[in-house]
Amino acid sequence: MHASVISRICTRNKLWESANFGVEFFHRSWRFFAFNLLLVSAAIAQTSDGELTLPQVGKFVEHYCLDCHNTATPEGDLSLDLQEAAFAEFKTPVWENVIRKLRHRQMPPSDAERPDEQTYLAVVNTLEKQRDAAVAAQPNPGRAPTFRRLTRREYTNAIRDLLALEIDAASLLPKDEISHGFDNMTVGELSPTLLAGFVVAARHISGLAVGRPVAGTSSETLTVPLDLTQEQHLEGLPFGTRGGAVFMHNFPQNGEYEIQLRLTRDRDGQVEGLKQPHEVLLLLDEELLQEFSVEPIKKGQNHSSLDRHLVVKVPISAGPHSIAATFAGTTSALRESQRRPSLASFNRDRHPRLQPALYSVTINGPEGPTEPGNTPSRQRIFACYPQHTSQEADCGKQIIATFMRRAFRRPVSPADLETPMEFFNQVRAEQGFEAGIAMALRAILVNPHFLFRIERDPLAGEPGSSYEISDFELASRLSFFLWSSIPDDELLDLAERDELHQADVLNRQVRRMLADARSAELVDNFAAQWLHLPNLADSRPDRRLFMDFDENLRVAMLRETRLLLHDIIGADHSLLDLLRADFTYVNERLAKHYDIPHVYGSHFRRVQLPVDSHRGGILSHGSILTVTSYANRTSPVLRGKWILDNILGMPPKPPPPDIPQLKENSETGELLNLRARITAHREDAVCARCHDYLDPLGFALEHFDAVGRWRELADEQPIDAAGSLADGQQFDGVVGLQAALLNRPELFVQTVTEKLLSYALGRGLEADDAPAVRKIVGDARQDDYRCSSIVLGIVHSPPFRMRIIR
Amino acid sequence: MNFTNKSLQRRTMLKGLGTAIALPLLEAMLPAVSVAASTTPLAPRRLGFVYIPMGAHLSQWTPATEGKLTELTPILQPLTGHLDQLSVLSNLELKNAYSAGNHATANAAFLSAATAKMTEGSDYELATTVDQVAAKHIGRNTQLPSLELSMDLNTSLGNCDNGFACVYQNNLSWSSPTTPLPTEAHPRSVFERLFGSGGSPLQRRTELQHDASILDWVMADMRTLNRQLGRGDRSKVAEYLNSVREVERRIQIAEQRTADSPAPDMDRPRGVPEAYADHVRLMFDLQALAFQADITRVITFQMARETSNRTYPEIGVPDAHHPTTHHANNPEKLEKLAKINTFHISLFAYFLEKLKSISDGDGNLLDSSLLLCGSGMGNPDVHDHVDLPILVAGGGGGAHIGGRHIRYSEPTPLANLHLTLLDKVGVSLDAFSDSSGKLKELYDPVSL
Repeated sequence: MHASVISRICTRNKLWESANFGVEFFHRSWRFFAFNLLLVSAAIAQTSDGELTLPQVGKFVEHYCLDCHNTATPEGDLSLDLQEAAFAEFKTPVWENVIRKLRHRQMPPSDAERPDEQTYLAVVNTLEKQRDAAVAAQPNPGRAPTFRRLTRREYTNAIRDLLALEIDAASLLPKDEISHGFDNMTVGELSPTLLAGFVVAARHISGLAVGRPVAGTSSETLTVPLDLTQEQHLEGLPFGTRGGAVFMHNFPQNGEYEIQLRLTRDRDGQVEGLKQPHEVLLLLDEELLQEFSVEPIKKGQNHSSLDRHLVVKVPISAGPHSIAATFAGTTSALRESQRRPSLASFNRDRHPRLQPALYSVTINGPEGPTEPGNTPSRQRIFACYPQHTSQEADCGKQIIATFMRRAFRRPVSPADLETPMEFFNQVRAEQGFEAGIAMALRAILVNPHFLFRIERDPLAGEPGSSYEISDFELASRLSFFLWSSIPDDELLDLAERDELHQADVLNRQVRRMLADARSAELVDNFAAQWLHLPNLADSRPDRRLFMDFDENLRVAMLRETRLLLHDIIGADHSLLDLLRADFTYVNERLAKHYDIPHVYGSHFRRVQLPVDSHRGGILSHGSILTVTSYANRTSPVLRGKWILDNILGMPPKPPPPDIPQLKENSETGELLNLRARITAHREDAVCARCHDYLDPLGFALEHFDAVGRWRELADEQPIDAAGSLADGQQFDGVVGLQAALLNRPELFVQTVTEKLLSYALGRGLEADDAPAVRKIVGDARQDDYRCSSIVLGIVHSPPFRMRIIR
Repeated sequence: MNFTNKSLQRRTMLKGLGTAIALPLLEAMLPAVSVAASTTPLAPRRLGFVYIPMGAHLSQWTPATEGKLTELTPILQPLTGHLDQLSVLSNLELKNAYSAGNHATANAAFLSAATAKMTEGSDYELATTVDQVAAKHIGRNTQLPSLELSMDLNTSLGNCDNGFACVYQNNLSWSSPTTPLPTEAHPRSVFERLFGSGGSPLQRRTELQHDASILDWVMADMRTLNRQLGRGDRSKVAEYLNSVREVERRIQIAEQRTADSPAPDMDRPRGVPEAYADHVRLMFDLQALAFQADITRVITFQMARETSNRTYPEIGVPDAHHPTTHHANNPEKLEKLAKINTFHISLFAYFLEKLKSISDGDGNLLDSSLLLCGSGMGNPDVHDHVDLPILVAGGGGGAHIGGRHIRYSEPTPLANLHLTLLDKVGVSLDAFSDSSGKLKELYDPVSL
């Protein structure tokens, strides 16, 4: 019986069974010992603190692992030879793989003989202790890259913090690439395209900040997403209005600007939904700027002329202003439609717009006489202002030195200041004081000390030894980790006094930083990437199958998840609340999508969910369920993989090259067929190795369709949402899945910790980082896995505080 | 810190003396500003590479008969107007594209024909791509040696093939085995890369001179940094310094151009068009402009990413592209795949039309260009890399004889086509990756 089990789980075992008698003999002999071990280990686990002696672990490995993972047949490219097990004291990095597989109960495979739970725990405990001791004896905090270029997002935030200026970096710089799940890993390159982008951006930004834009007049157009339904009131716009858009726009100078509105047209160029007169409202900083009226087309009129008069010329002061264009609300009586009413109407053929909609807002200007005005940027830059030419040099120096310290994130020396001061003086002589300042700022924004975070080895120190990073390097690590931006003056001051690394100072600073609004980046940057939320912007569910899906719903889904994350991180709740929250955030639109009654209006509010609700927790969020689906159907495989990657931290290996990929297309039909197919896959041991874990997780979410709506039937068949975890837990549906995950909270918390640590370090994690992760998770357990305890754990961990010399 | 004085002086001098000053770099770029047609006969002056992801419905793509092209298959129908400047090549393969991440490597191998090192970290490695080899030759005197464009403004998460960093899937062009070139997708940013940020010619000149002075400082600071770093980090700084030099060169040429170049025949794009096709067409317009103004002679353009889940409801395909390509020979899916392919080809046809409408020397821009359009995957259902859908279009300055369907009896390396294209632009190599020879048929009239 034993032999048959083994032959099923090792795909390549025949090779060694037939070809290598020596190994065969060897295995027979240790199998005898292993039989005794079972009895022994059970007794030990009951009486001790859950640890085994090293020979006992050796016997465990022999019994449960070596059949497949030996030199002759290194299944999964892993060999754990007996010799190594016995003599290496389980201290080599390879044992981290074993620990992980055992923790998840993925090994031994479910169809093989498996140890009991106590033995699992005892072996994992012992292996972890050995590994922790090994790394403690020979610390390896890893080496974050010497050069890390600011990501596009970090650059945007740095400009905001340096210059009080919001920019649209997507129109200035190429996008960053993803590695290890985040965009801040592959940041060592500075291609000519990128450098040229930084040069142009610096020119553009410095001009805007001081109120001297490079090009005299500019033209910006904001286009409203085509699938935005504009029949009702939209959040952020005044009550009593419907549809439209509101956005912040930075006006470069005081001057006269032209604002032009255009209405949405169908593909024949006709203004949609214009069956009766409508009032169009244009608002500046929430005050009515102009009211227009649009009339249905009359004989002899052309559609292109219907909205030509929606233009206004007004003086606007420099700086950020809110611009809103919307429509006066009409009666809430049922609107006339020839079709079944739909929540979404933007689609002429199926659910046409019943009223006209805003297509774009164009802002041209400034025209005529202009002035720089009094903008937040100028207030931030001009801490002094010369009254006479004689004061210009001193004031300029003060401005430039302050700016440079923040931008370089370290003290500036007189030598550092030399060149920017020359730039300032030269341009000042030609074009005046402010132009000189702009030139100096522009130069600093292209300097490598701004664009790159540079961590330098100390002058003394042997390769292979590790050192504590400097306080300034620590200040940057902290601010880019928690804020995705540059350190503020307080952090730099503490670094300059060499106090930042002191434990109590560091704790206070981390708590201060978490309380600061900039820490929203932990949600909007870190968590968004971790959960793949940005992909929602590109999801286009099939409009025939999901006719209610529109931009309004997309925005609402994103908002729900962000609000929950902000709530949990902001209020410092347990990370587990992400899975077990018994509340969520909805507006009317999302509540209808979720069948939650009695929610009216466009604003978001927290709703307590009934005990028997299948909502609550991110696994039931429309955002996640949509980004893990295809446009026209769900995919248990995609969802299962997403959970393994992002919740359980056990990413499946890529399928080997000689195995055809699992055919997604085969899932088109009924669920039963899919289940049948998966079962067939499991007969192939290579496929089963991953799909045994992938698919049951995804199946548990099958009650949610491809846009996250609840359903009882799929293709007219009842849904079978039975699922399981590798540890053998069986469950049904999302509620069961959540409960199963919460039974093993350390798996989820470890995943989040690993993602967060990797993001904080800007590198993928190595085996030698595992002890640090274990310590962070272990310490956080005492504190109910609160977010701040994870963050503090990371900040105090060796990988974050130290660096190895190469 | 004497260098700064010197560098500033240099910039000032440049400004004072005008542009005829004989700095070494300026000398090197002088030929570039003469926009006259190339004097070399039978040579393409421009190369374009357009990528279609995830293969094609091949039986609707590949012409039934070999030799002279008389009738086009449904997918290629939109190219009917360009038959005489079109070659359909069948049975080309990318042996090095087979991997555990076939989508990543299909894209990576398309212009490199090389094996991508399997890694998710930043230690990625491929090979210099054909466009970059060409750019080092025919692009060295233009303002931009090459232009890399794509359609995705934002990065997509979790969609890169397991084990392969996203750079393999997102970047077609690599200027060295370790340097993937980032792409641009924002039309205004491309426009400004080509024509500057606006303002009067005098203002633009001043701004460019300021940029150059700033780069002098960047260069000096990087050199200082270099002296303070360990050996391992110095190679990185050396790469950065090369980039600084390259951008300085571009600025010098741009400075020259401000004097005599006419304003482009296009308004500065204001935003990103909402509809995919409008965005693609705008990107093609910009490419035509870049060729027309001779700002670059080499362009790569990824029309969509591998594993793209873009839907195309505007042509009756509300399904995501990627799962549609796993068609399992289901007729309904195949038909949808063909629709997507046809749509992409129709947009490519728009580009050809655009190039044809712009005169260049005695002919038009299409006459003097050689364009490669295709995919690094053949049948996407099984992720293979043989019988790739490949088109060559344009007159190639007389170097390309079109109107033909060439089918190789044995799978033939796509690298042979790359080697041939390089040969056509004057880069004579013995081999390119796994090439086994040149595709003489492409310009040899005897083969018909």
